[in-house]
Amino acid sequence: MFRFRLYWTFTKKAFLRSAVYRFDVWSRLGSNLIFLLMWGSIWTALYAGREEAGGVSFESMLTYIVVSQFLTGVNGAGTPLWEIQEKVRTGDISLELMRPFDVPLRYLFADFGSVAFYILTALLPLYTVMFIFMDLTLPSAWETWALFIVSAFIGFLIRYCIEMSFGLLSFFLVETGGIVDVFYFAMSLLSGSVIPLWFFPGWLETMALYLPFQGIYYIPNAIFIGKITGEEILLSLGVQLFWAVSSYLLLRFVWNRASQKVVVQGG
Amino acid sequence: MPVIEVEHLMKDFMIAKRETGFLGAVKSLVKREHIKKEAVKDISFSINEGEMVGYIGPNGAGKSTTIKMLTGILVPTSGSVKVNGIIPYENRQENAKNIGVVFGQRTQLWWDLPTIESFELLKEIYQVPDKRYKENMDTFTEILGLDEFLSTPVRQLSLGQRMRADIAASLLHDPPILFLDEPTIGLDVVAKEKMRTFIKEINKERSITVILTTHDMEDIEKLCERMILIDHGQKVYDGEIAVVKERFGKTRTLIVDLEESSRSLKLRGGEVFKEEASRFWIRFNRDDVSASGLIAQITETHNIKDLTVEEPAIESIISRIYQEGYQDLPETVKV
Ligand SMILES: Nc1ncnc2c1ncn2[C@@H]1O[C@H](COP(=O)(O)OP(=O)(O)OP(=O)(O)O)[C@@H](O)[C@H]1O
Ligand SMILES: [Mg+2]
Repeated sequence: MFRFRLYWTFTKKAFLRSAVYRFDVWSRLGSNLIFLLMWGSIWTALYAGREEAGGVSFESMLTYIVVSQFLTGVNGAGTPLWEIQEKVRTGDISLELMRPFDVPLRYLFADFGSVAFYILTALLPLYTVMFIFMDLTLPSAWETWALFIVSAFIGFLIRYCIEMSFGLLSFFLVETGGIVDVFYFAMSLLSGSVIPLWFFPGWLETMALYLPFQGIYYIPNAIFIGKITGEEILLSLGVQLFWAVSSYLLLRFVWNRASQKVVVQGG
Repeated sequence: MPVIEVEHLMKDFMIAKRETGFLGAVKSLVKREHIKKEAVKDISFSINEGEMVGYIGPNGAGKSTTIKMLTGILVPTSGSVKVNGIIPYENRQENAKNIGVVFGQRTQLWWDLPTIESFELLKEIYQVPDKRYKENMDTFTEILGLDEFLSTPVRQLSLGQRMRADIAASLLHDPPILFLDEPTIGLDVVAKEKMRTFIKEINKERSITVILTTHDMEDIEKLCERMILIDHGQKVYDGEIAVVKERFGKTRTLIVDLEESSRSLKLRGGEVFKEEASRFWIRFNRDDVSASGLIAQITETHNIKDLTVEEPAIESIISRIYQEGYQDLPETVKV
């Protein structure tokens, strides 16, 4: 039986707790903006006054960057990799095995709370202003907005499952530098968060398309700027769902192994 | 009726050789190499409802390991554990509802939440009804003085405050069984006393079954009638504390200060084992000679300025049992 009320309590608590760490919210928003400016100017320079590149207009490209930074903000407000590793190391996660709830789900619901707070108080106001004052391509149909939100949400779930799985690997390792590198490489490059997949060389694009990371940034973004339309959207959502399920299974596998290790080897 | 039954419990730790790097991590998910360490070797005991038992042993004896098996976060290598009819490791979440646990060494509250929010979270987690939650909070606040730090984040609490918060948290859902692993560690004398009073009351009034580990024998003397002594993962003694005291507590030490310094002091039934200027430490067996008999002997030849009689602390009896074993230890322990 899924005890929604219990997990919802974690959401509420995390939401309220975020309000206490207001400096954190502002500093994250600040760095989000700096990266936005940086990528904005890089892409402006790369387009070098051209109206179009790779079949995508400059305006759409700029929109892609803005949406990408927005999604980075959303995904970055969850429990980060290093914090999961920290909780593994301190034994916080092991001790939670003694509680009558499911640990991965409890962290997911807590993340819903902190992400919701960050979106409502920081991201939404900022990006609304940006969409109003900048020349960006906005979806005209409300369906596209809805599909974008659904897709971004599935992307969030994929990222959560992968990030949590990577974090839990510290149950099995002392040195996690390599893990962290692989994770951030995949998260920034293979996901299309800083360079859209259509600019990738053929082999890299093919590789990225066969991996789950594109489901986190590229697919929702491509839906938003209208790079993919109609049936293609449904296909992409299907791909995302496939990866959401797969990464969830991965998380369950790693979690089972991790908790097995705790109960057999004492953490 | 036993609520905790432990039979031939064993726990070996396979200390894994950790792998490095990403490939190492993937490899270690599949296969790894180990070294064996026996933390608990064949321990059996059973504890009845409402009992308060001291679970004692030197560092590394296997106390915490046993407690962890009772909570279900460790699976025994062999043997059986039953807590309130449930096999903890097979049904961890169900078992969690029946037990309260305090690990003195580390908090189980959420580090960055204000204390009160940890309590509110636990209320939801254990589905404590509003009314019961309020009653419990009122009681605990009154006895443990929680109100002075309820709004402080757990990470900012002093050790004593944290311990009070932790024990209150462990009891919010009215568990019939309480495991306390070093609940008085690092507390000052007053705080220790308060903690003991609280544990005693909880045990009496709610007839909660308590297992308590500690290195402070005063905890045991003040709280428990029964103790289980373990060493190197094996049970050394299980029974009443009074019996141990009766059996090994016959040795007395008489300390006398004489008016004038004396070269020697020869006494029938007593043995001087230490002297310093005009002060003498005399060991005797209460069954062979009385303190007043010894004093009478001394006053025949000397004037006594001051004197005290000491009985062995349970602490030193126990440390002797660790060193020599319960059976092998002579009854007149030289402690
Ligand atoms: N997770 C673990 N992996 C390997 N060995 C362990 C683990 N946990 C405990 N041990 C070993 O098992 C033995 C018993 O440890 P345990 O923590 O149960 O002792 P204890 O009686 O609680 O000691 P203390 O009084 O110091 O708390 C020790 O030798 C310890 O090193
Ligand atoms: Mg211990």
